[in-house]
Amino acid sequence: MLGKLLKYELKATGRTFMPIYAAMLIAAAVTKLISALTAGGSEVPEFISAIVYIMILMGMFVMTFVVMIQRFHKNLLSDEGYLMFTLPVEPWQHIVSKLLISVLWNLGSLVAAFLSIVILTFDEIANRALMLDLFAVIAEFLTIFGPTGSLVVLEIFLAGIATTVFGILLIYASIALGHLSNRHRTMASLGAFLGLTAFAQILFACLTLIPNVRVLQHYMDTLQESLQTSIALFHYVMWFTIGFFTLLSAGYFLITNHILKKRLNLE
Amino acid sequence: MNAILECKGLTKSYGGKKALSDVNLTIERGRIVGLLGPNGSGKTTLIKLANALLTPTSGEIRIAGMKPGTGTKKIVSYLPERNYLNDWMRVHDIIGLFRDFYGDFRPDKAYDMLKRLNINPNDKLKTMSKGTKEKVQLILVMSREAELYLLDEPIGGVDPAARDYILETIISNYNPEATIIISTHLISDVEKILDHVIFIREGQVVLSSSVDEIREQGKSVDGLFREVFRC
Repeated sequence: MLGKLLKYELKATGRTFMPIYAAMLIAAAVTKLISALTAGGSEVPEFISAIVYIMILMGMFVMTFVVMIQRFHKNLLSDEGYLMFTLPVEPWQHIVSKLLISVLWNLGSLVAAFLSIVILTFDEIANRALMLDLFAVIAEFLTIFGPTGSLVVLEIFLAGIATTVFGILLIYASIALGHLSNRHRTMASLGAFLGLTAFAQILFACLTLIPNVRVLQHYMDTLQESLQTSIALFHYVMWFTIGFFTLLSAGYFLITNHILKKRLNLE
Repeated sequence: MNAILECKGLTKSYGGKKALSDVNLTIERGRIVGLLGPNGSGKTTLIKLANALLTPTSGEIRIAGMKPGTGTKKIVSYLPERNYLNDWMRVHDIIGLFRDFYGDFRPDKAYDMLKRLNINPNDKLKTMSKGTKEKVQLILVMSREAELYLLDEPIGGVDPAARDYILETIISNYNPEATIIISTHLISDVEKILDHVIFIREGQVVLSSSVDEIREQGKSVDGLFREVFRC
């Protein structure tokens, strides 16, 4: 059933994102083309085209955020919820399907933005020397970490996913908590959002400052042999971040699931 | 055979206001039941509780012995009083969705009924009138071979000609083992198809009786309703 939910969620959201991605890539290509054609002449057409491109780019990230909220709120907790919650599917499957597709579009928007930059800087990329320089810089950065270089790439990727998932589940849990209120559900959701955010920050402060004072102290003490210590500290911070956000995400998931399963009250 | 629907002390309040108050009710299988009462009497609340769209304040409701959940959703076909269709699908997409999720859905039945009511399966739900959307929803719901059909105001928004067709559809599409609960205040229209009626007023069941018993007293359901709910 999860697979089917994913299929419909992808369909429902893809019809929004695909045209935006296409529009952005076309705007980037047009900007590049105008820039090549009007080289040495007026810069106005290129300027206008670039503005359009930037507007679409910003719009894309706004839409990624808006669609994430709207799919959860409108599809599950408004009139469409009458259909979704009478399908023979467990509430957790609804949450997981919406979460996974939302993560996918977050990644998709990043990839699309990256591709548009590739289009805009096409001649610089074609100039291979520059690219080789860039790769060399990245490679050099990773060699600092010695044998753990590839681990760093994994850590950055996982931390990115963990914070994205955390952000999405924070929104879901806020909307779900707002749903517990009989009236003023939107206001209650905003209140829940502020509360959950504050909770995350306080917890982060408690977990980082108190037990990690000694780690930091140790780091300061051994600053002389700093390179090895810095690498260890980097890994430590990365895994701490991944673990922290995964744990909080699990908490927010459980809150959301409990409310959708045991406390649902569609208007 | 266990009862298809059973309520014990079922109560639902919104804030301080009781929408349903200590409802005790048993509905046997194989009946067409009218859930009758004026607007705001708790009919929709009862049906939503049976679909797990609402959580009871106290008491319990069971369907075929199960608490409302994934198990009951497989055997209950529900027509809400509102439009739950999204606006981006076409009719054949939503039929695909029903076929994907409900093992008891019969697409051929659905396409037959669409044809009878002159609805094009390629039309977008967005462009349809309110009445046509209601017909599409009813077709989807009646194309399942469910054990319990919960129809909330199924004939409220459509014209009298379609109303007759819909009632005919309801009777001809269900098997004698199944149960249909129809909530409405348009009693004279549904009276002829009902086996059993439940009168509900201000959140309480005031009468649960077979239509035969009412007729034996020389009354019609419509007449009795007017008597009980006299303003």
